[in-house]
Amino acid sequence: MAGRGGSGSGMVEGARWRKWVYFNVPMTVFIVGTLFPFYWMFVTAFRPDGELYRPWRAINNTPFWTTHPTFEHMVYLFKQTMFGTWMYNTMLIALASTVISLFCGLLAGYALARLRFPFAGSMGTGIFVTYLVPPTLLFIPLANIIRDFRLGDTPWSLILTYPTFLIPFCTWLLMGYFKTIPKELEECARIDGASRIRAMVQIVFPIATPGILSAGIFAFTLSWNEFLYALVFLSSPQQKTVPVGVLSELIRGDVFFWGPLMAGALLGSVPVALIYSFFVEHYVAGLTGAVKG
Amino acid sequence: MAQVMMKDLNKKYDEVHAVKDVNLHIRDKEFVVLVGPSGCGKSTTLRMVAGLEEITAGEITIGDRVVNDLPPKDRDIAMVFQNYALYPHMTVYDNMAFGLKMRKFPKAEIAKRVGDAAEILGIQELLKRKPRQLSGGQRQRVAVGRAIVRHPQVFLFDEPLSNLDAKLRVQMRVELKRLHERLETTAIYVTHDQVEAMTLGDRVVVMKDGWIQQVGEPLELYGHPANRFVAGFIGSPSMNFVEVTVADANGALWADTPGLRVKVPPVSAGRLGPYKGQRVTLGIRPEDLRVATGADSADYSFDTVVEVVEPLGSEILLDLKAGPNVIVARVDPTVRVKHQDKMRLSLHPERVHFFDNKTELAI
Amino acid sequence: MGRARDIRLAYLLLAPALLLLLTALAYPIGWEVWTSFTDLSPLNDRPTAFVGLDNYRRLAADPAFWRAAANTVAYAAVTTAVKLVLGLGLALLLARPFRGRALVFLAIFLPWAYPASVSVIGWYWTLSPPIPTAYSVFMGQMKYVVDGALGGGAWAFISVTLFNIWRGSSFIGIFLLAGINAIPPELFECAVLESKSAWRRFWLVTVPLLKPFLALAVFLALTTAFADLANVWMLTAGRIVYPVLGTHAYWLAIHGGQFGPASALSLTLAPFLLAILYVLFRMFDPPEREHA
Repeated sequence: MAGRGGSGSGMVEGARWRKWVYFNVPMTVFIVGTLFPFYWMFVTAFRPDGELYRPWRAINNTPFWTTHPTFEHMVYLFKQTMFGTWMYNTMLIALASTVISLFCGLLAGYALARLRFPFAGSMGTGIFVTYLVPPTLLFIPLANIIRDFRLGDTPWSLILTYPTFLIPFCTWLLMGYFKTIPKELEECARIDGASRIRAMVQIVFPIATPGILSAGIFAFTLSWNEFLYALVFLSSPQQKTVPVGVLSELIRGDVFFWGPLMAGALLGSVPVALIYSFFVEHYVAGLTGAVKG
Repeated sequence: MAQVMMKDLNKKYDEVHAVKDVNLHIRDKEFVVLVGPSGCGKSTTLRMVAGLEEITAGEITIGDRVVNDLPPKDRDIAMVFQNYALYPHMTVYDNMAFGLKMRKFPKAEIAKRVGDAAEILGIQELLKRKPRQLSGGQRQRVAVGRAIVRHPQVFLFDEPLSNLDAKLRVQMRVELKRLHERLETTAIYVTHDQVEAMTLGDRVVVMKDGWIQQVGEPLELYGHPANRFVAGFIGSPSMNFVEVTVADANGALWADTPGLRVKVPPVSAGRLGPYKGQRVTLGIRPEDLRVATGADSADYSFDTVVEVVEPLGSEILLDLKAGPNVIVARVDPTVRVKHQDKMRLSLHPERVHFFDNKTELAI
Repeated sequence: MGRARDIRLAYLLLAPALLLLLTALAYPIGWEVWTSFTDLSPLNDRPTAFVGLDNYRRLAADPAFWRAAANTVAYAAVTTAVKLVLGLGLALLLARPFRGRALVFLAIFLPWAYPASVSVIGWYWTLSPPIPTAYSVFMGQMKYVVDGALGGGAWAFISVTLFNIWRGSSFIGIFLLAGINAIPPELFECAVLESKSAWRRFWLVTVPLLKPFLALAVFLALTTAFADLANVWMLTAGRIVYPVLGTHAYWLAIHGGQFGPASALSLTLAPFLLAILYVLFRMFDPPEREHA
């Protein structure tokens, strides 16, 4: 692979020095820089209020860890705010939009990867280009449409709009994945007696499971994290999703409720983190294609 | 009756005319091999029979039905692909049973057929495994087994042995031949390897650039190639070609070129009459050349210089030069020569071929 | 025959996706273009009037608009450049397997996978911590100094930029890593034989082969930063400290109720995006058209 780190040629000390400078140091910097905010959130979420606001020069100050971990912020979160409801809402919306987008993306991805038909090229490009249309451009007209259809302040406003950026992404990912599956498998199935659709569903889709998982995880993550549409389309506290709820309800004016805020930050991403850690392999596999069986 | 007939078959991809006017009648139970270099149209033809490619013009008949408009699954065929195309997420059993399940066969019947096929191919222990746990040879057997269980009218093979290593290929070749004798089903086999073609085919179809060059039994193609391409394609090492002038001297015809002058054998002399004074191509196979002995007539002998010696054990291949002409000869392993030695070769008069320079057809 | 069937199937399969995209994308954009030529507003009592290019003209004359535009360009350019460099470095570091690589993947990917609105809270704390904490004084000083030296809003610019980079460089890194993995290792082995300098190998082998990925990465980074609304909004908690085109449009539309002008504002993004799209399309091939 590309030449950084440990080329092995030359004296042992030379190689070791290189390894440190070119590899270990940057790596450590990256990891620390990347993870520090999370660490901080984690610690703060469990830090009692008294400690949170302790001034700098106080005697038993422990800035980087806490000696009295507490769940009081979490409790506050669930009792004093509608955090539980927000979690439920976000989960529902994310799952529903993922399912819709996967469905559309699977079918469209297959059509673009396997079938020859007029305008295939332009339709394919068209679908990808839509991914590039930023929500910033769309939120105004969509807000208007949502209002007209009286979908404002309901989960449907998001379930129906999230697919606009999820479908192109899923289609692109799945199309690339399908292309790595040998054509002969389907041809064989068709000779064996399957129609094209049956071959698609019974042969291609099962083999593409890693890609489907990847697409699904990406879609779920993207919907879970989505902020703008949720902000614009939802107004009442019981309809809000976690991203919007945490920010709008726990920061009133200039007052930051740090404890619950951090707790909310931590808990609000638990589902994504869980799914993510289980399927880390598939993330990368999905990006690089199927393995031939 | 599972004969396959191709009538005026043509295939065009936009600008490329891949298959041109193929006419072929394959008899019931016959094993026909389509052979030729890459891009000659053999795979395309096979895929048209399978229904995986659209037919641009012409007609294909399987049994007594014209199948042009039938989808692959209704043609009663089975195909073995070059890279086996085993369904990776299914066990061997399920792979083999898939086609039968598609056609709603009862479970008992499926079990019986799969069991029988597994026994024929010797893969009974593998039925519960997944393809990725099998070796190349085993996968190939499963692929063949999958085709067998369907009891189709025609088997189609698309270069099935190309992905196997050399030793395995030889072994599987024999097994496939045995299988054909046992199952007695019409088969169309595509390969680029002329050895496979010769050893497996009841008849061999040589193709090039979309055209059929010659159809015939293996030995027919070997002994009486219809044109220069077939002559050079069949047989390894391939036939030697030398451009000669047909000279008239001493009341007979001679094939003459700097470095080589031999008499035109009487069996060919009649046909070469019209070519007096013109250039034609002389063809002689390496195995039809031998070290000249005193008993060999001088009319059919010529002098050469040894360039490279390739000892194979069972024989020796000599790369020689007769004047400016490069000649390859196959000789006995007892012959002792080395680089730069002089050697006199003699040819078998009945095994000399001549080809028209313009049409490339055999004379 | 089979071809006609295939065509029908293709359209059938594409229908759901196309339908949704048409209604949720094509129609809204069309509406937006139309609206940008009107003075549509829920606050108006009278019916909406067609005002032609008025909205655009007013924008062009508004210094706040140009300020936002300049901010947006700066933001997009800086974040993209830094993310590219960091992402590339990350991809190279991760290219070869080493102990604990999976964990590093996990760590690196977290900022992107984590909801922005949630991780932004961590950054709040870092950048403008509550008064009594250890370093709030220090941070306050920083803010003062930076704003003093580079002009009002500079601190906000830096914070937003840092946040964006923190979130995005890992995504770019993973993206480029996929690109590096797509390069056959034999090419690297061959390069090692030809040149001892790792730097040269990098420039002459890795970079050219990565070009399509690099182009796409730059493109994604640029366009998302350009159109960024959410990140900026979140970090500035909705206060216009550092206006970019996105947040400006948001204020106009949602808080000001001026749909017409807001549409016009949003649409000013379009030429930029199209220009970037065009340039990058020239740099690498569009999706291939498959021959039979």
